[in-house]
Amino acid sequence: MNIVVCVKQVPDTATERKLRSDDKTLDRDAADGVVNELDEYAVEEALRLKEAHGGEVTVLTMGPDKASDTIRKALAMGADKAVHLVDDALHGSDALGTSHALAQTLKKIGFDLVVLGSESTDARTGVLAAMLAERLNVPQLTFANKVEVNGSAIAIQRVTDYGYDKVEASLPAVVSVVEKINEPRYPSFKGIMAAKKKPVEKLGVADAEIDAAQVGLASSWSEVTDFAAAPPRAAGTIVKDEGDGGAKAADFLASKKFI
Amino acid sequence: MKFVLDAEQRLFGETLNKLLAGAGTPGAVRAWAAGDPEPGRALWRSLAEAGVFALAVPEAAGGAGPLPVELVTAFHELGRHAVPGPLAETVAAAELLARLGDGAGLGSGHEDFEDRASGHEDSEDRASGHEDSEDRASGGGSSGDHGGELAAAWLPRIAEGAAVVSLALPPAVPYALDADAADLVLVVDGDELRAAVPGTVRTSLDPARRLFSVEAGTAPVSGPAVRAAAGAAFDLGALACAAQLAGVGRRLLEVTVEYAGTRRQFGRPIGGFQAVKHQLADVLVALEYARPLVHGAALAYGSPDFSRDVSAAKAAASDAAYAAARTALQVHGAIGYTDEYDPSLWIRKARALRSAWGSPAAHRARVLSRLTGDRESAE
Repeated sequence: MNIVVCVKQVPDTATERKLRSDDKTLDRDAADGVVNELDEYAVEEALRLKEAHGGEVTVLTMGPDKASDTIRKALAMGADKAVHLVDDALHGSDALGTSHALAQTLKKIGFDLVVLGSESTDARTGVLAAMLAERLNVPQLTFANKVEVNGSAIAIQRVTDYGYDKVEASLPAVVSVVEKINEPRYPSFKGIMAAKKKPVEKLGVADAEIDAAQVGLASSWSEVTDFAAAPPRAAGTIVKDEGDGGAKAADFLASKKFI
Repeated sequence: MKFVLDAEQRLFGETLNKLLAGAGTPGAVRAWAAGDPEPGRALWRSLAEAGVFALAVPEAAGGAGPLPVELVTAFHELGRHAVPGPLAETVAAAELLARLGDGAGLGSGHEDFEDRASGHEDSEDRASGHEDSEDRASGGGSSGDHGGELAAAWLPRIAEGAAVVSLALPPAVPYALDADAADLVLVVDGDELRAAVPGTVRTSLDPARRLFSVEAGTAPVSGPAVRAAAGAAFDLGALACAAQLAGVGRRLLEVTVEYAGTRRQFGRPIGGFQAVKHQLADVLVALEYARPLVHGAALAYGSPDFSRDVSAAKAAASDAAYAAARTALQVHGAIGYTDEYDPSLWIRKARALRSAWGSPAAHRARVLSRLTGDRESAE
């Protein structure tokens, strides 16, 4: 089985994240880049599927040069090879643009199963799996906390508010996973050293036959017009109870139209 | 020379940091101190899976080593998380067994053990240290076969984390650490390597370090090769301990800086006071001075300067970690010496590791004797 797992480099959630003042996109140089946490679960699931059914795992990432750290991490965990989609023309792509770029690349490199984390910690749109499936014209099985492959059939448990749905489809397909699905492995020293020798193919917009008019900041359907730091929380009003505390609380609630 | 870790070494260190941060290590330390080694053994197995112990075991014996730079990277993280157990001892034992397994081939500049032992804190008989050049020249001697068997039996188990080994190299390393939790306890006495049984437990400054005096067991290996291999083992153990100390110090600085930023007094965080800042800055400087010495010593593995560089690293790392512990204790105030509060785990480990594998004074003496010795031979 030819499994492609999409990973994204995101700014470390433990550090302060910033937008750039010039084009109002995420400032990727302001914070350390780390693997999007949910993508580690996706890599782990891809590796487990490979270990159970054979085949190989390809890591696919789109991002600037420094996203190669993220590729290295996924390769160290045990993925076999990687494709790095890197091109200045891709900078600022929204979810639609990103899904176009990734779909084109996936068509080019081929796949039986695409595995993604269910969302990224920076953009948090959570729509990429669905968009990819649509663009690739294959079934989407999203928010999986369990994945089973049997021949060309795939079944997942899709997490819902009330429990889970069983969703079945046939390969090729796109799956997105939630963090309950597994416990991602830590790369071993051997894995880290082996990753050095694994092939990483770099592709640009032209190589992957991506329509440049559909990607990049200028083509984004969503636009950041302005941004500001969240204002510090104003100090609350302290009401001293002089026997009329209940009435004052009621007045406050009434002023906010709660009662 | 550039003492900067490469991308793979950094990723390895970060991975161990995450693994240990997510493994409830302080709980394992406390259980270990209370005589329940199981959580610590579980931690040990996951560290072995990550490849830590294989770094000290030769490839031919199922390991990936010897890789001293990766080893100090790993031990820095082990110190940073106060991992319990005979860590440096197991790594040193791997070096000892690997060398005995090799038979001869010990001419890589390791001092004989007696000379090293004379650097022990209480020992002033430096001048009477035996000169063992003829022993070294005689190579493997009678030890080859037994040593080979021992190496073949234990090295693969060390690499895969199935064996925890304690090691005493008296007088510099007089007690076998955590011998009750070890699968194998080795003692080197001069030319003799013996498997030993743990005797009485001694009180350590660090309750998670259970020190045992050892009782004589059988003497499966003897000969001059043992002495030389023990010298090499001491050097690697001291290097691992130095890296561990650097990690202990780093962690103490991290938690203390964090505490100084949140603890308020006189209307502002105590870290805002210059006197506190200066103390913390001094710790940082000491740690930053120790780091290149530790990395430099790792790079010197196999060279004639290895013993000297290890001693420089161990002395500097001991001083830095101890300074970190004293400062952490003072800046934390009364909470600092609270047993239930996690920083106590590192504060006590820093003090214990400072004197383990040779005191700073003993290591300084060894650096001095190497430097003056070099000058004499040059003249």
